[in-house]
Amino acid sequence: MRLILVLLFGVACIAHGAEADLLEPDKAFRFSARLKDARSIEVTYDIAPGYYLYRQQFKFSAAPAEAKLGPPQLPPGKMKKDEFFGEVETYRGNLTILVPLEVAEPKPSVVTLAAVSQGCADAGVCYVPHEQKARLQLAAGGTATGAPPEPFPAPERARAGADDARFASVFAEGFWVTIAKFFGAGLILAFTPCVLPMVPILSGVIVGGGGHVTKMRGFLLAALYVLGMALTYAVAGVAAGLSGAMLAAALQNPWVLGAFAAVFVALALAMFGLYELQLPVALQSSLANASNRMRGGQAAGVFAMGVLSALIVGPCVAAPLAGALLYISLSRDVVLGGSALFAMALGMGVPLLAVGASAGALVPRAGPWMETVKRFFGVLLLGLAIYIVSPLVPTAVHMGAWAVLLIVTAVFMRAIDPLPPNTHAFDRFSKGIGVIALVVGIAFAIGALSGGRDFLQPLAGLRAGAGFPQAGETPFQRVGSIAELEGRIATAGKPVMLDFYADWCVSCKEMERFTFTDERVRQRLGALVLLQADVTANSPEHIALLKRFRLFGPPGIVFFDAAGREIEGLRVIGFQPAHKFAAVLDEVLRFQRTASQ
Amino acid sequence: MKDSRRRWLAMAGVGALAAAAGYGVHLWWADGQADVPNAAAVEALLTAPLKDLEGGSKAIESWRGKVLVINFWATWCVPCRKEIPEFVKMQESHGVRGLQFVGIAFDQPQPVRDFARELGINYPLLMGGLDTMALMRESGNKAGVLPFTLVLDRKGKVARTHRGVLTEAALEGIVRALL
Repeated sequence: MRLILVLLFGVACIAHGAEADLLEPDKAFRFSARLKDARSIEVTYDIAPGYYLYRQQFKFSAAPAEAKLGPPQLPPGKMKKDEFFGEVETYRGNLTILVPLEVAEPKPSVVTLAAVSQGCADAGVCYVPHEQKARLQLAAGGTATGAPPEPFPAPERARAGADDARFASVFAEGFWVTIAKFFGAGLILAFTPCVLPMVPILSGVIVGGGGHVTKMRGFLLAALYVLGMALTYAVAGVAAGLSGAMLAAALQNPWVLGAFAAVFVALALAMFGLYELQLPVALQSSLANASNRMRGGQAAGVFAMGVLSALIVGPCVAAPLAGALLYISLSRDVVLGGSALFAMALGMGVPLLAVGASAGALVPRAGPWMETVKRFFGVLLLGLAIYIVSPLVPTAVHMGAWAVLLIVTAVFMRAIDPLPPNTHAFDRFSKGIGVIALVVGIAFAIGALSGGRDFLQPLAGLRAGAGFPQAGETPFQRVGSIAELEGRIATAGKPVMLDFYADWCVSCKEMERFTFTDERVRQRLGALVLLQADVTANSPEHIALLKRFRLFGPPGIVFFDAAGREIEGLRVIGFQPAHKFAAVLDEVLRFQRTASQ
Repeated sequence: MKDSRRRWLAMAGVGALAAAAGYGVHLWWADGQADVPNAAAVEALLTAPLKDLEGGSKAIESWRGKVLVINFWATWCVPCRKEIPEFVKMQESHGVRGLQFVGIAFDQPQPVRDFARELGINYPLLMGGLDTMALMRESGNKAGVLPFTLVLDRKGKVARTHRGVLTEAALEGIVRALL
């Protein structure tokens, strides 16, 4: 069965074949530079496998004229015999070159380094001498500090680790490196709350189908489920990338979310044993005769569940998804973009395959154990249902729902029943967990009733009278069209932050609730003009706005300097915790300072 | 037994389908994305005055009317040097029938002169500059790789572009129809 995976990877390989594999020089020889100290520049080349650079062919120059470069310190290369030139030295892999720097008065604040390099590919081509530039910022007062490297000669751009840009830049490497990185990202995503609930769904489907479950059969079903999920990602990603549509909007509209929540509640109730999930009796009896066909039917069902699951995981994969979509829509390299998404989904599926393969072991088939496990999964499913609808309901309702779930669970865990003296250790442990759930649930219940809005501090509303500030409100000005946005930016006179928002956008709400309310973030936001585009209605103006910034939908935060130019590379896509977001804001403010010097 | 065989067959079928679909997408895509030469850039390339090895200046259009094989190369480019002896041979054998090679080197004049003498290059060599490089990129070689070969018919229209080493057999096949 493992062959399926190998096969599908192979397919991607075939589809990607031949001459297209030659990298653009900027990707074959990834260049960056930083100030190592006040008197030297550290230049690094990340040379793609199968490519090399000539040691003798580097040329460095700097502008303005006050900046003078010394002879570059080139490390020894690998000797290569050349029938025409004799010996030539070449570099492969990572290369670091130190270039001495002397800056005369008046000291410029920015030095632009231009590096010319020459290299070839083992595939049998060379590149014409290639110039790459970096912009280095000198700190005031003579000592220099390194600035983020700038791969393009565009002085008005800065670069930092924005998530989508980072994921999009992953594509600059070779095909397999990209695939491997996305697979790895998928593995990490497998342990986010969105994917874990799939474990009970899957094992429910496998075990719940009844009959004899062998490891092989379990693995096959799990593989089908994962394939359904992965193919959905690849196809939906490519389609969305090409059309530039709001994928997230389509997946996160209230009806879809509500339907999924209902499915989960139904599944949860089945887990609690309220009813047996099975096919209608008539269908079942006709199928019973041909057991082969019933297997086929179940396989199709599992595959379909996988397809549906792909949609649920949306919120968790916002950043890599946006990166891949950005890449697909910019480069229109559908094959690589689609393969990357496919690999990511396979990565997310690895734990599910393990669950499937261990059909007999991880999911016990009989006895009271099985009941406990099923109930646990049932609670998880209910939690997931609440999580899914949380963007659609007021915070109080959301919190109240959690309170109900936690308290009822606690009661079933016998949190308030006295334990007999000779109780088994497991039951004591279980009661302990139950008591914790009870306490948290009661806190949520009180919070929901007293107007608390923060899950981390549900009781904050009770603190010292009415002293609780309106922390949730961030003073945004609304913009609804490109013209309006341009007008606001032109008259801002300060750096501008543009936040794309929609009512259905989970991470937007998380940003509002957890990040914008943070004291460090609020302080820094004070120095910016805050604009918000609410694209819930998804009108043509909204779509134009999103397109303008190559976004596929919220969440997305874009920054502009005081002159109204976008500070590229600083975009924030998806939820970012307060400390990271504060660092991004620092970057914006620092950029503004150097730009106005 | 029978059951598992059926399963394998089904899987093989799905795999083959996926492969076919992938290949189809690739073809469709490669087609839409080809590095298409810009006619205006090719024309500018033909008329631009370029330095020859004697210090004079010449434009490729002086050979207009022949089947032109314009080869972009450099002495430091190892794969470029591999194909040149075959070009020399073909210039020798097909020259009378109207085949004309022109080499454009992105290099220093001295190593080019040395190399030309060593290999007995029997076709004109011109020196390319930064603007030539830009025109070459627009002529079907966006990534700017060497060797790059541009085959033009007698009317000066691009018949073929090729990135990387061109074998005698392949070039023979391309020019046969044009001569």
